[in-house]
Amino acid sequence: MSETKTHSIDISAMQRSQKTLRIEDEKPCLSVKNLHLYYGEKEALKGIDMMIPEKKVTAFIGPSGCGKSTLLRCFNRMNDLVDSCRITGEINLHDTNIYEKGTDVAELRRRVGMVFQKPNPFPKSIYENVAYGLRIQGINKKRILDETVEWSLRSAALWDEVKDRLHESALSISGGQQQRLVIARTVAVKPEVLLLDEPASALDPISTLKIEELIHELKTEFTIAIVTHNMQQAARVSDYTAFMYMGDLVECGDTNTLFTNPTQQQTEDYITGRYG
Amino acid sequence: MKELMTDHISQQFNNELEDLRQHFLTMGGVVEKQVSGAIQALLNSDSSLAEDVREQDLTVNQLDGLIDEECTRILAKRQPAASDLRLILSISKSVSELERMGDEAKKIASLTLSLIEEGEAPRGYVEIDRIGIMVSRMIHDALDATARLDIDLAIKVAKKDRVVDIEYNTAIRSLVTYMMEDPRSITRVLNVIWVLRSLERIGDHARHICQHLIYMVKGVDVRHVPAQEIHKEIE
Repeated sequence: MSETKTHSIDISAMQRSQKTLRIEDEKPCLSVKNLHLYYGEKEALKGIDMMIPEKKVTAFIGPSGCGKSTLLRCFNRMNDLVDSCRITGEINLHDTNIYEKGTDVAELRRRVGMVFQKPNPFPKSIYENVAYGLRIQGINKKRILDETVEWSLRSAALWDEVKDRLHESALSISGGQQQRLVIARTVAVKPEVLLLDEPASALDPISTLKIEELIHELKTEFTIAIVTHNMQQAARVSDYTAFMYMGDLVECGDTNTLFTNPTQQQTEDYITGRYG
Repeated sequence: MKELMTDHISQQFNNELEDLRQHFLTMGGVVEKQVSGAIQALLNSDSSLAEDVREQDLTVNQLDGLIDEECTRILAKRQPAASDLRLILSISKSVSELERMGDEAKKIASLTLSLIEEGEAPRGYVEIDRIGIMVSRMIHDALDATARLDIDLAIKVAKKDRVVDIEYNTAIRSLVTYMMEDPRSITRVLNVIWVLRSLERIGDHARHICQHLIYMVKGVDVRHVPAQEIHKEIE
C-alpha cells in the first residue's frame, strides 16, 4: 500500500472551529416575550421576542431611535425612572419575570449591571470606586475588599496600570482607563449580566480595542449584551447580533452569518450602508 | 517580518490569522503529497496509488472551501488593513492556486490509469521524472517560503519556473518528432504530453503562490514582472 494512503488530516477540527452558532442550542439567560414599550402615546418597542444566551456576547445594532438602548434598559428596569413609560409583556431572568410585582429592583440591578457611553466614575479614589458596591451591601472587611478590588481590576484589564496609584482620584486617569474602571466597579458586585450601552463610543481606537478585548475575556464569566452604533464593533466582539429597526427586532442570529449572509433584506441594506 | 500576524491588541484576531496560515500550510502539505504521489504512480505504473491521488482531490476541495470561508469571515468581521489585509488576500488567492495544483495532480493520476490500461508510452518518462522532481521541489519551496515569509526563496522559485518552461518545450519538441516518426504511438505519447503539460501548469501555480507571498510581505504586485527583475522591483 502506498504511503499517501496513510496521510490524513483532521478536517473536522477545522470545520468545528468555523461552526455556525445556533441560538436554539444556547442556554437562555434573559428571555423576552412579546415586549411592548410605550413612551406616552408612542410605541417604542413593538412586541419583541428574543433571548439573550448565557455567557455569550449579544450585540444590538440599528439606526438611531430604533429602540436598541430602550430594550437594553428594560433588562434592569432602568425605564422605570421614565415617568411616561409603560411596559407590557415579560422579561425573564432565568426563570423569574423581572416585571413581576414585588421584584427587588436594587437586587435586580446588582444582578444585571450596566455601563454607559460616557465613563462615570465617582469622584472618589480608584479603590473606593470599585469597593463602593460592596460597601453599600455592608461589606467592610478590608481583606475581602482588597481581594475584590484586585480581582475586579484584573478582570477589567486595568490592574497593572493602576496598582500603584489605587488611592489617587479616579478622575485623574484617562478616559479609556475610566471606562475600564467603571466596568471593574460593575463586575465587583458579581452580576450575572453586563449591559453595555455604547461603552467605547467616547474612546480612541486603541482604548476601544482594549475594551473589545476585555469584553471577549469577560464573557467566560458573564452574559453580555452590548448596544453599539459601530457595526464593525458588533462584528468583532459578539457571538450573536440582533438588528433592530423602528421598534421591531428584524433579525437575530449568529454574528458570522449575519455579517456575511443575512436572511433579511433590511439587515443587508443596513450593514452594507444602503439606508437612505 | 516574523511578527506579521501577532501583536494585535485583540488576541482573538491573532489567533484567527495564525489559524488561517496554519490551515493554508496544511492544505499545502496535502497538495504537495498529492502531486508527488501522482508522479510516483505514473513512473511506477501504480494504479492503486493513482486512485488514492484522485480521491485526495475531495479533501483538497473541502479545504479550499473551508479556508475561503475563513477569509470571508475575517474580512467581514475584522476589516483588516495593510499587512493583515494583504495576508488575507494573498492566502485567498494562493488557496485557489493550490486547489488547481490538486486538479492537475488528479489529471495526471487519471492519465496514469489510461496509460496503464492502454500500455506504456514508448517515450517521455525520463522527461516526466526530471520535470516532476523540479516541480515537486518548487511546491515544497513555495510552501516553505510562505511558512517562513522568505522572500529570497520565493524569488528563487519564480526563477526556477523559467527553467521548467524550457525543459517542457524541449520535451514537447522531441515527443512531437517521435510521433511523426511513429504515428502508431500518437495516442499513448499524447497522454505523456498531457502529463507534462499538467506538470508545467503546477510549476506556474507554485510561481504564483510565491508572487502572492511577495505581495503579502512587501506590498508589491510582481505578477507581471519577469522573475529576474523582481529583486529590483521590491528594493
